[in-house]
Amino acid sequence: MNKRFFTGALSFASLACALAGFSNRALAQDTGTLSFWVRASDAAIATPLVKAWNGSHKAQVALTVIPNDDFMTKFGTASASGAVPDILAVDLIFVPQLAQAGQLSDITEQAKALPFYNSLSKAHMHLATTDAHHYAVPFSAESSFLVYNKGLFKKAGIDTNAPPKDWASIEAYAKRITALGDGNKGFYFSGACGGCNIFTFAPYIWASGGDVLSADGRSASIDSPQVRDALGFYRRMWTAKLVPQGAKNDAGQNFINAFFTGKVGMVGTGAFAIGLLKKDHPEIDFGVTPLPGAKGGQASFAGGDSIAIPKGSKAKAAAWEFIAWCLSDSVQIESFAKNGSIPVRSDLGAAYVNGDPRLQVAFDAMANGRAPYSVKFNQLINDGNGPWNSMIQEAVFGDGVDAAVKKAQAKFSETITAAK
Amino acid sequence: MTMLNRPLGLSRAGIGYLLILPSLCLIGVFFLVPLCMTVWMSLHDWPLFGTSTLVGLKNYAELLHDESFWRSLLFTTKYTLIVTPALFLASFVLALLVRRPGRWSAFFRTAYFLPVVIGLSTASLLWVWLFNDQVGLFSALLMQLHVVDEPVQWFDTGTTSLLSVVWMVTWKMTGFNMVLMLVGMQAIPKDLYEAANIDGVSPWQQLRYITVPLMRQTFALALTISVIGSYLAFDQFYIMTHGGPNNGTVSIVYWIYRAAFTYTRVGYASAMSVVLLLILLLMSTLQLYLLRSDDR
Repeated sequence: MNKRFFTGALSFASLACALAGFSNRALAQDTGTLSFWVRASDAAIATPLVKAWNGSHKAQVALTVIPNDDFMTKFGTASASGAVPDILAVDLIFVPQLAQAGQLSDITEQAKALPFYNSLSKAHMHLATTDAHHYAVPFSAESSFLVYNKGLFKKAGIDTNAPPKDWASIEAYAKRITALGDGNKGFYFSGACGGCNIFTFAPYIWASGGDVLSADGRSASIDSPQVRDALGFYRRMWTAKLVPQGAKNDAGQNFINAFFTGKVGMVGTGAFAIGLLKKDHPEIDFGVTPLPGAKGGQASFAGGDSIAIPKGSKAKAAAWEFIAWCLSDSVQIESFAKNGSIPVRSDLGAAYVNGDPRLQVAFDAMANGRAPYSVKFNQLINDGNGPWNSMIQEAVFGDGVDAAVKKAQAKFSETITAAK
Repeated sequence: MTMLNRPLGLSRAGIGYLLILPSLCLIGVFFLVPLCMTVWMSLHDWPLFGTSTLVGLKNYAELLHDESFWRSLLFTTKYTLIVTPALFLASFVLALLVRRPGRWSAFFRTAYFLPVVIGLSTASLLWVWLFNDQVGLFSALLMQLHVVDEPVQWFDTGTTSLLSVVWMVTWKMTGFNMVLMLVGMQAIPKDLYEAANIDGVSPWQQLRYITVPLMRQTFALALTISVIGSYLAFDQFYIMTHGGPNNGTVSIVYWIYRAAFTYTRVGYASAMSVVLLLILLLMSTLQLYLLRSDDR
C-alpha cells in the first residue's frame, strides 16, 4: 500500500512538471514570440532595438536581460534543461567555447550571403569561426583606449594636445598629476578585475609585441619579456603611489567611476565611457588616445557581443531574420551609431564618428583590435581567483613580477591542457 | 465513522496521506528528485555543455585530494565560528531589550527586523557601495570625523574582508534570530519570574537560572539555523569579496559554484554538494543531540 502510494505521488509530481513544461512551450509557439537573451551591458542598445523591431514586424521578440556575470551560468542551466532562447547575444569571448561544445547553430551560409559580409568586425568573426564555419555574427562592439583628464593635464603643465605615446610618458604624466596633491592621482585601473584587465592591460602587452595566448588558444605565452615589462610598468606606478589605494581590490566597481571623480589623470576604458562622460559629466574635459606599447605603437581589445542562434532554438528562420535586420544599414546607423555605440560594420564609421576625433580613436581601435581565442576564457581570465587575476595581484601589489609570471605560466598551461 | 466524515471512502490513514500529499509533492519535486539527480550527476563526468560519461566514484576520490575544497571548507568553518556567536549574542541582547511590551518596543522590534526583509544579494550590494573607497559612506564618514586620513580599504586582506562580511550578515540577520529568541522568551511561564521576584532574585540571577535554561530548545533551533545558513554562505562572498583577495574568502558553496560554472565541471560540483550535505546532516544531528531538552 505504502509503496503504491509513494509511486503514485511521484508519478503525479512528474506528470505535473511535464504538463507545466509542455504548456509553456506550446504557449511560446502559439504566440510566435522569439525569446532573445542579452547581458546587462547590452540592455541600453537591445531594449530600444527590440521595441523598434516589435513595432514593425509581426513576429515579436521577447527580451530577457541577464546580469553580465551570470550569463554563462544561466545559459548553461538552460541548455541542460533544453530551454534555450531562440536568439542569444553573448560576450564574443565565449563564442569559441559554445561553438566547440555544439551549442550554436551553423550560420555560415546565411552570414556569407549578407551583402556586407566582408565589413563585419574581424575580431568578432575570428572568434565566431570554428573549422571554417561561422556560429555567430557581431552584435555590439567595444574597443579599449586611454582616456585622460585635460583639466588635470593643464593644471600639471602637460600639453593637452600631446597625450602619452609610450609607457615612459604615462609614468611621467602620472607623477606630475599626483604631485598636484589634493587627492589627485595620475593613473587608475581595477586591480582585482580579470575582465577589465584583459580589456585595458593586455593591449600594453600586444602593442609591445607580446601576447598572452597563442593564436589558437592552445598554449600560453605569459612567461615573456613583454608581459614582465608590462607588469613592471604597473608595479612601478603602484609602488610610487601614482594609483589610488582602492585599485588593488577593485573588482570592476570603480572601473570608470574613479575617472568620474575628476581626480584621476588617466585610465584605460572603453567606448561606452565616452557616451557616459559626455552625458553625465560635462564638467570633465577629456581626451582619448590609443593604449601604447613600451616604446610606442598601439593596440586595443576588440570586445562586445556576438549574436547567435542556439541549437535548440525552435524558430531558426525567424531568428536569422531578426539578426540580419540588426546588421542592416538603417539599424546600425539609427540604433547603434547615432546612440553612441560603435557599429559592428567597418563601412559605417562616418555615421558613428560624426566629426568627433575621440570617437574616431574608438572606431579605429575597434577596427584594428584583437581578442584572445580560448575555449577556457572564463577559467583563465575572467575568474576573479583565476591565474590571470592572481598574476596581476601578486606581480603588481604583492611579492613581485618574476615569481608571479612563472606561477601564472604554469597555471595557464595546466588549465589549457586539462581534459575539461 | 460514517461515509460522510470519510471523504472518498478512505480509511483514517488514507485521509492522513491525502492531507500530506501536497507537502509530499513539493518535497518530492523540489528536494528528493533534485537530490537523487545530484547524486546521479556526481557519479559522472558531467560538463556544463556537452555529453556526460559515467565515472563511478572518481569525483569523490579526486575531492579527497582537492586542496581548494578543504581550504574552502576550513574557511567556511572559520566564518561560521565568527558569525554564529556574533549573531547569537546580538540577537539575544536585542530580544532582552525589546521583550517587555512598552511604548517603543514595537518600534524597535520592527526597526531591528527591517533588514531581514531585504534579500541577501541586495543587502550585499548595498554594503559593497557603503564600503566603496571612492563613493562609500563609511570611508567618507571616518574621514569627515578625522579618524582616518585616506579611504579605508575594507577588502584589503582576507581578515578585513571576512570581518566586513560578518558585519553585514550580523546587521542583516540579527532581526530574524531576535524574533526566535523573543518567541522562546515569551514561552517561559510568567509565574516563574513572579515567584523569583517575591523571593528577591536579582534580574541577573533570573536571566541565568530561569531564562537561559528554559530557552535551550530555542538556542538549539537558532544555532542550527545559523550554522546551516553560514555553511551555505554564497551571495555575500560572491558579491562582496569575489572570493578574494588571493582566494582568501572562498566559501564552500562558492567553490562548488566555481567548479560548476567557471570550470564547467557539474559532476564534480555535484560530488562536493553531496559531501557538504552529509557534513551538514552530521553537524545538525550532533548539535540537536547536544542541546536536546531533558523534559522528554
